[in-house]
Amino acid sequence: MTDSKKIELDILGQVCPACLLVVLREMNTHQRELKNGEARLVIRTDHRDTTRTIPESARKMGYDVEVRNLETCYEITIGKK
Amino acid sequence: MKSPSAKNDHPADRKVREVSTIRMLKEENRRLHDENARYARYIREKTNQLLEVMGTQPLRPEEFDNRELLTLDPIGIIAGSFAQVYDYLNKTINDLSEARDELQAIFDATGVGISIIDQDFAIVKCNEKQRELLVDKHLENVCGNYCYEVYCLKNGPGLDCPAVDTFATGRPVVVNEVRKKNKYFQLVTTPYAKDAEGNVTRVIEVALDITARKKAEEEEQRQRGYYLAEKSKLASVLQSLSEGLLVTDSRNRIISVNGAALQILDLSQKQVQELRIDELFDDCPTEARTMFDVDTPQACQNVEIRFRGDNRELLLSVNSVPLFNPDGNTIGRVFTFRDITEEKHRQEVFHRTEKLAAVGQLSAGIAHELNTPLGSILGYARLLLKGENLQPGQRERLGIIAEQAKKSGAIIRELLDFSRLSTPLPNQAMRCDLNNVVAEAIRVVQTELDKRFIDVRLDLADMQAVEVDPKRLEQVFVNILLNSAQAIGGNGEITISSQSHYHEARVTISDNGPGIAPENLSRIFDPFFTTKPVGTGTGLGLSICAGIINDYGGAIDVRSTPGEGAIFTVILPLPGETHGQ
Repeated sequence: MTDSKKIELDILGQVCPACLLVVLREMNTHQRELKNGEARLVIRTDHRDTTRTIPESARKMGYDVEVRNLETCYEITIGKK
Repeated sequence: MKSPSAKNDHPADRKVREVSTIRMLKEENRRLHDENARYARYIREKTNQLLEVMGTQPLRPEEFDNRELLTLDPIGIIAGSFAQVYDYLNKTINDLSEARDELQAIFDATGVGISIIDQDFAIVKCNEKQRELLVDKHLENVCGNYCYEVYCLKNGPGLDCPAVDTFATGRPVVVNEVRKKNKYFQLVTTPYAKDAEGNVTRVIEVALDITARKKAEEEEQRQRGYYLAEKSKLASVLQSLSEGLLVTDSRNRIISVNGAALQILDLSQKQVQELRIDELFDDCPTEARTMFDVDTPQACQNVEIRFRGDNRELLLSVNSVPLFNPDGNTIGRVFTFRDITEEKHRQEVFHRTEKLAAVGQLSAGIAHELNTPLGSILGYARLLLKGENLQPGQRERLGIIAEQAKKSGAIIRELLDFSRLSTPLPNQAMRCDLNNVVAEAIRVVQTELDKRFIDVRLDLADMQAVEVDPKRLEQVFVNILLNSAQAIGGNGEITISSQSHYHEARVTISDNGPGIAPENLSRIFDPFFTTKPVGTGTGLGLSICAGIINDYGGAIDVRSTPGEGAIFTVILPLPGETHGQ
C-alpha cells in the first residue's frame, strides 16, 4: 500500500458519526483508485471510536485497513495490498 | 398598456386583494417550512437508521443543522458505501462459490473415501471415492441412508464403529484395520459440527483403502517366512557339511562359520570370528594368497595350507570362491576346507611302499645275482691266503680283496633285508612292552654311545602292550639311535620318551645334534638316500625302519630345526586300532 498515491484526510476534532460519513464520502469519491491500488486514503483522527467504525465499514467494502497509534492521534490507512 | 380591469380597479379593492395574497403566501410559506422540516426529520431518521446498520451512533442535533444535513447528503454517501459493500459481497459470494466448487472437486477427486454422518448415522454427504469403495454401485442415492446399512451392511451401528465413539466423546477416533466388502480400510472419524450444548451433531468419516498395503504386508510376511525357512534349511545344510565352511566380508573378517570348521580347527566360534581369514590361514603359500583378496574374481581350489593348532598341526585343502550380492558386486568370499593330514600321510605311505616294493624287487635280484660270484671271490681269496708261498705284497692285496668282498657281502645282506620288507612276512607279532624293547635297543647300542660320550635320558610312561615282533621293532630303535649318535658325532644327549596318545603308543627319540636340513626332511625315508660320506652308509636304515613300522600299521614322524637337533616319533596303534588306515 505504501507505494501508491497518498490521499490525506484530516478529521482531527471531529467525532462519530460525522467523521465516518466524511470518510465514507472520500472512499466513494476515490473508489476506483482505492480499489485498484493506485491510491491509499490516510486518515488522521483523535476520536477513538473511529478506529473501530471506519475499519469495520472499510473491510465490509473489501478494503485492507491498517491502524497505527501515533503520539497524539490515530492514523488509519485504507487501500488495497 | 394597462388591462381594462386594472384600469377600473378601486384602490380599496386592490388593497384587499394584496392583503389576501400576502396571507395566502404566508400560509404557503408555513406549509412549505413544515414540509421541509418533515423531510429533514425524515432524512435524519433514515440517516440514523443507516448509521445504525453501519454500526455507529446516530447523528446528534448539534452536529448538522437541516441545511448542512441536506448539503452533506448522508443517504447518498451511505448508499454509495452500500453499493461498494454490495459489490464486495457479490465478489465474495462468487469467490466462495468457486471455492465450494473447488472443494467439491477435491472432495470427489481425493484418494480417500469421505462422508459426513449425522447423529442418526444418516449419510449427509459422500464423495465419489467413498461410493467407489463402499457403496453398492446399484444404489443411486446414498445421502439420507444409514451409514451402517450402506457401508457395513448391518442393521445398526456396531460396537467397533468409530463414529459411535466420536459422537460419544467428541474426539477423533482411528481404527487401523477394518475389513469391509473384502477390502481392508483404515478409518478415521472426526467431529465436524456441534450443537449449542457442545454435543457432536455431525462427524466426518475418512476411509483409506489399505488393501494393497495389507496384501503387500502379507506377501512380505509370506516371503519372510519363505526366506527364514530357506535360511534355516541352508544353515542345516551348512552345519551338516563334513567340510569346514567360512564366510568372510569385504574386509576379510570371518562372519560365518559352520560346525565342521570349528571341529577341524578345534576352535570356538568366538575365537574364529575374532580373526581375519588371512590371520587364521597365516601359513598360506605366498603364491596362493590371492585367495584372500576379495577382488579376486576366480575361484581358488585345492590350496594346501598348514594350520598349527594348540596341540597339532594339520594340512588343509582350501577352496575359495567370491561371494556376490544381488547386484553382482563382490561382498566377500566363501572358504571351504577339509583336513587332508591323514590323506596326505596315507598317500606318502602308499608312495613309499610302492617305492620300497620296486626297489626291494630290484635289490633282491641284484643281491641274488651278486651273492654267488661274491661268495666265489671271497672263498678263493681266503683259499689263496692260506697259501704259504705268498709274497707280503700279494698277501696284503689278497687281504684287501677278502675284506672288500666281506664288506660287499654285508651290503648285500642289507639289500636282502630291505627286499624282504616288500614281501609278506610270517606273523611273528606278539604282545610286548614297548619300554622293554626300547631298553633292549639301548643295550645294543650302548657301546657305540659310550664311545661317543653320548648320554641317554629316559622319560618312559607305563603303557599298554603293543602287538609287534620285538626283534624287528628293536631293529627300528637301534637304527634310529645309531642315526642320532652319528648325527651328534660326540658329546651329546639323546632323550627317549614314551606315552599313550589317544589310541596310539608313541616313542619319541630326540637328539641335540645339528638337525636335518629342511630339503632333506621329506627324503630321509627314501631307499639309498644318505647324507653320510660314500662307503659309510647304504641309505637303507631309515627306509627299513619305515617299512617295519608301516607293516604294523604305524608311522614314523620326523621333525627338525637345523641347529637344534632332530625328533623321531615312532607311532604304533594300540591293539584294536590301526594307525593311518
